[in-house]
Amino acid sequence: MNLNDYERDGIAVLEPRGKIMGGPDATILHEKLHECIEKGQKKVIIDLARVEWMNSTGLGILISGLTTLRNNGGELKLANVTDKIQSLLTITKLVTVFEAFDSVDEAVSSF
Amino acid sequence: MRKPTIINNSIRIPSSEEHLPDVDSFLEGILRGYGVEETIIADIAISVTELVINGIIHGNGSNPDKDVTVAISKKDANVEVVVQDQGDGFNPDEIENPIDAKNLLKEVGRGIFIVKSLMDSVAIDRTTRGTRITITKKVS
Repeated sequence: MNLNDYERDGIAVLEPRGKIMGGPDATILHEKLHECIEKGQKKVIIDLARVEWMNSTGLGILISGLTTLRNNGGELKLANVTDKIQSLLTITKLVTVFEAFDSVDEAVSSF
Repeated sequence: MRKPTIINNSIRIPSSEEHLPDVDSFLEGILRGYGVEETIIADIAISVTELVINGIIHGNGSNPDKDVTVAISKKDANVEVVVQDQGDGFNPDEIENPIDAKNLLKEVGRGIFIVKSLMDSVAIDRTTRGTRITITKKVS
Protein backbone atom coordinates (compact mmCIF):
# COMPACT_ATOMS: atom_id res chain seq x y z
CA MET A 1 0.00 0.00 0.00
CA ASN A 2 1.12 3.57 -0.58
CA LEU A 3 -0.52 6.85 0.29
CA ASN A 4 -1.07 10.25 -1.31
CA ASP A 5 -2.54 13.14 0.60
CA TYR A 6 -3.70 16.63 -0.22
CA GLU A 7 -5.97 19.34 1.11
CA ARG A 8 -9.31 20.48 -0.34
CA ASP A 9 -11.08 23.52 1.13
CA GLY A 10 -9.20 23.03 4.39
CA ILE A 11 -10.10 19.34 4.59
CA ALA A 12 -7.40 16.65 4.57
CA VAL A 13 -7.93 14.03 1.88
CA LEU A 14 -5.99 10.78 2.24
CA GLU A 15 -5.74 8.54 -0.80
CA PRO A 16 -4.38 5.09 0.04
CA ARG A 17 -3.62 2.75 -2.86
CA GLY A 18 -3.29 -1.03 -2.98
CA LYS A 19 -4.25 -3.42 -0.21
CA ILE A 20 -4.55 -2.66 3.50
CA MET A 21 -3.76 -5.97 5.18
CA GLY A 22 -1.51 -5.23 8.17
CA GLY A 23 2.23 -5.11 8.60
CA PRO A 24 4.46 -2.09 7.96
CA ASP A 25 2.41 -0.80 5.02
CA ALA A 26 -0.75 -0.44 7.08
CA THR A 27 1.02 1.70 9.66
CA ILE A 28 1.54 4.37 6.97
CA LEU A 29 -2.19 5.14 6.92
CA HIS A 30 -2.47 4.90 10.71
CA GLU A 31 0.45 7.29 11.20
CA LYS A 32 -0.82 9.75 8.58
CA LEU A 33 -4.25 9.87 10.21
CA HIS A 34 -2.73 10.58 13.60
CA GLU A 35 -0.35 13.14 12.07
CA CYS A 36 -3.41 15.01 10.76
CA ILE A 37 -4.95 14.96 14.23
CA GLU A 38 -1.74 16.14 15.91
CA LYS A 39 -1.59 19.06 13.45
CA GLY A 40 -5.07 20.08 14.56
CA GLN A 41 -6.77 18.94 11.36
CA LYS A 42 -10.28 17.94 12.41
CA LYS A 43 -11.85 17.14 9.04
CA VAL A 44 -10.51 14.14 7.16
CA ILE A 45 -11.73 12.25 4.11
CA ILE A 46 -10.32 8.88 3.12
CA ASP A 47 -10.70 8.28 -0.62
CA LEU A 48 -10.90 4.50 -1.04
CA ALA A 49 -11.19 4.43 -4.85
CA ARG A 50 -7.77 2.86 -5.30
CA VAL A 51 -7.87 0.39 -2.43
CA GLU A 52 -8.18 -3.12 -3.88
CA TRP A 53 -9.27 -4.61 -0.57
CA MET A 54 -8.69 -4.39 3.15
CA ASN A 55 -9.05 -6.83 6.01
CA SER A 56 -9.96 -6.21 9.64
CA THR A 57 -6.64 -4.44 10.18
CA GLY A 58 -7.71 -1.81 7.67
CA LEU A 59 -11.14 -1.51 9.28
CA GLY A 60 -9.43 -1.10 12.67
CA ILE A 61 -7.32 1.77 11.29
CA LEU A 62 -10.44 3.51 9.96
CA ILE A 63 -12.17 3.12 13.34
CA SER A 64 -9.10 4.37 15.20
CA GLY A 65 -9.04 7.48 12.99
CA LEU A 66 -12.78 8.03 13.35
CA THR A 67 -12.88 7.73 17.14
CA THR A 68 -9.74 9.82 17.67
CA LEU A 69 -11.08 12.58 15.41
CA ARG A 70 -14.52 12.53 17.06
CA ASN A 71 -12.90 12.67 20.51
CA ASN A 72 -11.14 15.83 19.32
CA GLY A 73 -14.29 17.40 17.91
CA GLY A 74 -13.58 16.29 14.36
CA GLU A 75 -14.96 13.84 11.81
CA LEU A 76 -13.70 11.25 9.36
CA LYS A 77 -15.71 10.50 6.23
CA LEU A 78 -15.22 7.96 3.44
CA ALA A 79 -15.41 8.54 -0.31
CA ASN A 80 -15.50 6.20 -3.30
CA VAL A 81 -16.04 3.05 -1.25
CA THR A 82 -15.52 0.09 -3.59
CA ASP A 83 -17.96 -2.83 -3.74
CA LYS A 84 -15.52 -5.09 -1.91
CA ILE A 85 -15.04 -2.68 0.98
CA GLN A 86 -18.74 -1.81 1.07
CA SER A 87 -19.47 -5.49 1.48
CA LEU A 88 -17.07 -5.68 4.46
CA LEU A 89 -18.62 -2.58 6.03
CA THR A 90 -22.05 -4.19 5.64
CA ILE A 91 -20.99 -7.57 7.07
CA THR A 92 -19.42 -5.90 10.10
CA LYS A 93 -22.26 -3.35 10.49
CA LEU A 94 -19.67 -0.57 10.26
CA VAL A 95 -21.86 0.83 7.51
CA THR A 96 -23.87 2.26 10.42
CA VAL A 97 -20.78 3.98 11.84
CA PHE A 98 -19.14 5.65 8.83
CA GLU A 99 -20.55 8.36 6.60
CA ALA A 100 -19.71 7.42 3.01
CA PHE A 101 -20.05 9.43 -0.21
CA ASP A 102 -19.85 8.61 -3.90
CA SER A 103 -17.10 11.17 -4.55
CA VAL A 104 -14.55 13.33 -2.74
CA ASP A 105 -16.51 16.40 -3.92
CA GLU A 106 -19.67 15.16 -2.17
CA ALA A 107 -17.71 14.31 0.97
CA VAL A 108 -16.12 17.79 1.01
CA SER A 109 -19.54 19.45 0.58
CA SER A 110 -20.97 17.43 3.47
CA PHE A 111 -18.71 19.08 6.07
CA MET B 1 15.27 -12.46 10.44
CA ARG B 2 14.53 -15.73 8.66
CA LYS B 3 12.92 -15.54 5.23
CA PRO B 4 9.71 -17.21 4.03
CA THR B 5 10.11 -20.74 2.70
CA ILE B 6 8.08 -21.98 -0.25
CA ILE B 7 7.60 -25.68 -0.92
CA ASN B 8 5.18 -26.59 -3.73
CA ASN B 9 1.82 -25.03 -2.79
CA SER B 10 2.74 -23.98 0.73
CA ILE B 11 4.56 -21.04 2.27
CA ARG B 12 6.04 -20.92 5.77
CA ILE B 13 6.79 -17.56 7.37
CA PRO B 14 8.36 -16.50 10.68
CA SER B 15 5.88 -14.79 13.02
CA SER B 16 6.05 -11.25 11.71
CA GLU B 17 3.39 -9.24 9.91
CA GLU B 18 6.07 -7.90 7.58
CA HIS B 19 5.70 -11.20 5.69
CA LEU B 20 1.97 -10.72 5.00
CA PRO B 21 2.63 -9.37 1.48
CA ASP B 22 4.73 -12.47 0.77
CA VAL B 23 1.81 -14.69 1.76
CA ASP B 24 -0.64 -12.61 -0.29
CA SER B 25 1.52 -12.62 -3.44
CA PHE B 26 2.09 -16.37 -3.17
CA LEU B 27 -1.60 -17.10 -2.53
CA GLU B 28 -2.93 -14.84 -5.29
CA GLY B 29 -0.42 -16.28 -7.78
CA ILE B 30 -1.64 -19.80 -7.14
CA LEU B 31 -5.31 -18.81 -7.24
CA ARG B 32 -4.82 -17.04 -10.60
CA GLY B 33 -3.14 -20.20 -11.82
CA TYR B 34 -6.33 -22.06 -10.86
CA GLY B 35 -8.33 -19.52 -12.91
CA VAL B 36 -10.22 -18.13 -9.89
CA GLU B 37 -12.22 -14.89 -10.40
CA GLU B 38 -10.60 -11.74 -8.99
CA THR B 39 -13.44 -11.00 -6.57
CA ILE B 40 -13.16 -14.49 -5.06
CA ILE B 41 -9.36 -14.18 -4.94
CA ALA B 42 -9.88 -11.02 -2.85
CA ASP B 43 -12.25 -12.82 -0.46
CA ILE B 44 -9.77 -15.68 0.02
CA ALA B 45 -6.83 -13.28 0.40
CA ILE B 46 -8.71 -11.23 3.00
CA SER B 47 -9.54 -14.41 4.91
CA VAL B 48 -6.04 -15.90 4.74
CA THR B 49 -4.37 -12.68 5.88
CA GLU B 50 -6.81 -12.57 8.82
CA LEU B 51 -5.88 -16.12 9.80
CA VAL B 52 -2.15 -15.52 9.38
CA ILE B 53 -2.33 -12.43 11.61
CA ASN B 54 -4.24 -14.48 14.21
CA GLY B 55 -1.60 -17.21 13.98
CA ILE B 56 1.23 -14.72 14.39
CA ILE B 57 -0.29 -12.76 17.29
CA HIS B 58 -2.68 -15.05 19.18
CA GLY B 59 -1.15 -18.39 18.24
CA ASN B 60 2.58 -17.82 18.21
CA GLY B 61 2.60 -14.75 20.46
CA SER B 62 4.65 -12.92 17.79
CA ASN B 63 7.59 -15.21 18.63
CA PRO B 64 9.81 -14.96 15.51
CA ASP B 65 11.21 -18.42 16.22
CA LYS B 66 7.75 -19.86 15.57
CA ASP B 67 6.25 -20.15 12.10
CA VAL B 68 2.90 -19.90 10.38
CA THR B 69 2.35 -22.18 7.40
CA VAL B 70 -0.21 -21.65 4.63
CA ALA B 71 -1.02 -24.53 2.26
CA ILE B 72 -3.30 -24.13 -0.76
CA SER B 73 -5.03 -26.78 -2.82
CA LYS B 74 -7.95 -27.16 -5.21
CA LYS B 75 -10.35 -30.04 -4.87
CA ASP B 76 -13.00 -30.25 -7.58
CA ALA B 77 -14.83 -26.89 -7.51
CA ASN B 78 -13.37 -25.79 -4.16
CA VAL B 79 -10.19 -24.12 -3.04
CA GLU B 80 -8.96 -25.24 0.37
CA VAL B 81 -6.45 -23.27 2.41
CA VAL B 82 -4.92 -24.58 5.65
CA VAL B 83 -3.30 -22.09 8.03
CA GLN B 84 -1.25 -23.66 10.82
CA ASP B 85 0.57 -21.97 13.68
CA GLN B 86 2.83 -23.36 16.39
CA GLY B 87 1.26 -21.70 19.40
CA ASP B 88 -0.90 -22.63 22.35
CA GLY B 89 -4.05 -21.92 20.42
CA PHE B 90 -6.91 -19.54 20.95
CA ASN B 91 -10.55 -20.22 21.51
CA PRO B 92 -12.65 -18.38 18.92
CA ASP B 93 -15.72 -18.91 21.12
CA GLU B 94 -14.17 -16.49 23.60
CA ILE B 95 -14.17 -13.68 21.03
CA GLU B 96 -16.98 -11.20 21.60
CA ASN B 97 -19.52 -10.72 18.83
CA PRO B 98 -18.06 -7.81 16.82
CA ILE B 99 -21.46 -6.70 15.50
CA ASP B 100 -22.94 -6.16 18.97
CA ALA B 101 -23.55 -2.44 19.34
CA LYS B 102 -21.14 -2.25 22.30
CA ASN B 103 -18.31 -3.70 20.18
CA LEU B 104 -18.82 -1.78 16.93
CA LEU B 105 -16.15 0.81 17.65
CA LYS B 106 -13.53 -1.66 18.85
CA GLU B 107 -10.46 -1.62 16.63
CA VAL B 108 -9.87 -5.39 16.81
CA GLY B 109 -11.83 -8.63 17.09
CA ARG B 110 -13.42 -8.91 13.63
CA GLY B 111 -10.98 -11.29 11.91
CA ILE B 112 -12.63 -14.68 12.46
CA PHE B 113 -16.09 -13.14 12.01
CA ILE B 114 -15.07 -11.84 8.57
CA VAL B 115 -13.52 -15.17 7.59
CA LYS B 116 -16.72 -17.03 8.54
CA SER B 117 -18.76 -14.52 6.53
CA LEU B 118 -16.64 -14.75 3.37
CA MET B 119 -15.80 -18.48 3.27
CA ASP B 120 -18.08 -21.49 2.69
CA SER B 121 -16.58 -23.46 5.57
CA VAL B 122 -14.17 -22.81 8.43
CA ALA B 123 -12.83 -25.69 10.55
CA ILE B 124 -10.71 -24.96 13.59
CA ASP B 125 -8.54 -27.73 15.02
CA ARG B 126 -6.70 -26.88 18.23
CA THR B 127 -3.89 -29.28 19.03
CA THR B 128 -0.93 -29.34 21.39
CA ARG B 129 1.26 -28.41 18.40
CA GLY B 130 -0.73 -25.34 17.46
CA THR B 131 -3.98 -24.32 15.82
CA ARG B 132 -4.86 -25.47 12.32
CA ILE B 133 -7.64 -23.66 10.51
CA THR B 134 -9.00 -25.02 7.25
CA ILE B 135 -11.13 -22.80 5.02
CA THR B 136 -12.87 -23.69 1.81
CA LYS B 137 -14.44 -21.60 -0.93
CA LYS B 138 -16.32 -22.72 -4.03
CA VAL B 139 -14.54 -21.16 -6.99
CA SER B 140 -16.27 -22.63 -10.04
